Amino acid sequence: MTGKDIIKITLNLVIIYVVGGFLLAWVYATTSPIVFQKTKAEKEAALKEMMPDAQSITHEGDWITPEQKHAGFYAGRSGDAIDGYIVETYGKGYSSYINVLVAVDGEQKIGKIKILHHAETPGLGDEVEAEWFTKQFEGKGADQMKVIKGETAENIQAITGATISSRATTNGVRYALEMLKEKYGAGTAAPDAAEMPAGHDMSSMGHEGAATPGAKGAEMSQPEVKK
Amino acid sequence: MAADTRSPLQLIKDGIVSDNTIFKLAISLCPAIAVTSNLKNGFFMGLAVMFVQTMVNLTISLMRPVLHPRIRIPIFMLVISGWVTVTDMMMSAYVRDVYRQMGLYIQLIVAFASILAHAETFASKNKAVPSAFDGIGMGAGFMFALVVISFFRELLGKGTLWGIDVLGFKPMLIMILPTGGFLAVGLLMGFFNWIESRYSGKRAGGH
Repeated sequence: MTGKDIIKITLNLVIIYVVGGFLLAWVYATTSPIVFQKTKAEKEAALKEMMPDAQSITHEGDWITPEQKHAGFYAGRSGDAIDGYIVETYGKGYSSYINVLVAVDGEQKIGKIKILHHAETPGLGDEVEAEWFTKQFEGKGADQMKVIKGETAENIQAITGATISSRATTNGVRYALEMLKEKYGAGTAAPDAAEMPAGHDMSSMGHEGAATPGAKGAEMSQPEVKK
Repeated sequence: MAADTRSPLQLIKDGIVSDNTIFKLAISLCPAIAVTSNLKNGFFMGLAVMFVQTMVNLTISLMRPVLHPRIRIPIFMLVISGWVTVTDMMMSAYVRDVYRQMGLYIQLIVAFASILAHAETFASKNKAVPSAFDGIGMGAGFMFALVVISFFRELLGKGTLWGIDVLGFKPMLIMILPTGGFLAVGLLMGFFNWIESRYSGKRAGGH
């Protein structure tokens, strides 16, 4: 192979790869805005589904679960009053971390839960997505987050043959409730906006134009979570 | 090797029957098992492969004047990975629910031996139109195989088809696990070989 051949081959390869690179960049530039918008809309729709009555849902902050998973949490507001929180959480399951969204109301009771992602065994662990299982969580509190093998109205009934997946989901939900309790104090129906729990940093709130605590205390007409 | 003289229709027929990638050549079996746990995924994976193979064949056939034989493999790889990336980007933008389930497997199409094989043995030696039909034929055969496999796996494993409840119960849950995938592919391969040996009178298999 002569020097001339080597140059010819190299040039051929370089030109083809550069043209290919430009074509790919063009497709990327066309599709990535669409992907970005759709991901954003999907996330917002998932949050809205958790608290349909809230006027706005904002990202309040992030936390780390006891099993070292990073997750976020959100506040749903109507006007300035916080209706409740939506917490993303994880529970270590049989073959995956079960990613759950938990909507919590002003009394630290569960509104509803939604399984976002899991890789549990099809036909067994994936039953955690079933409505009969997720509906059990509604209206319950952190102290009720225990898995019982058998019928129970007070706690969470395990899926037959999938105790580990059932426990993982329940644990994840309990972590979320405990995190909220630690951050915002035990939720009660009595509003007391003037008092701020220790360690809560107002500057980390995503809510634009946040009203001062004094003003909040004046306008409460519905129960709000203690801030 | 002289240019292939088969008609477009014959190319498609061969891609589905006599040169079927999954049931006859028994290559690219990995996705045949991995994404066939339900019908929707199998269908769209087949569609993606058909699109990639056809576009790759077309591109390489049109590039024949500038294709230097010594570097044809790197160029094939660029064309294949380019088209797979385009398919991946378009699926993530336009068919998001399918894309979410298939994710990694679309990008794995770059590793399919069959796409490189068709590029090397057909597209680099034939005109654009026959090359396109060779791609369509291969893709149609692949899609047919995946659809048949996932039809049985979803129906027997979950009792549903395309997500719609058909049976109301799950006859053989194992069908949606990897074991069931191997079972389905093996049994269907045997079945199609048996049909061929009965209706053409010649001995199928032998590998």
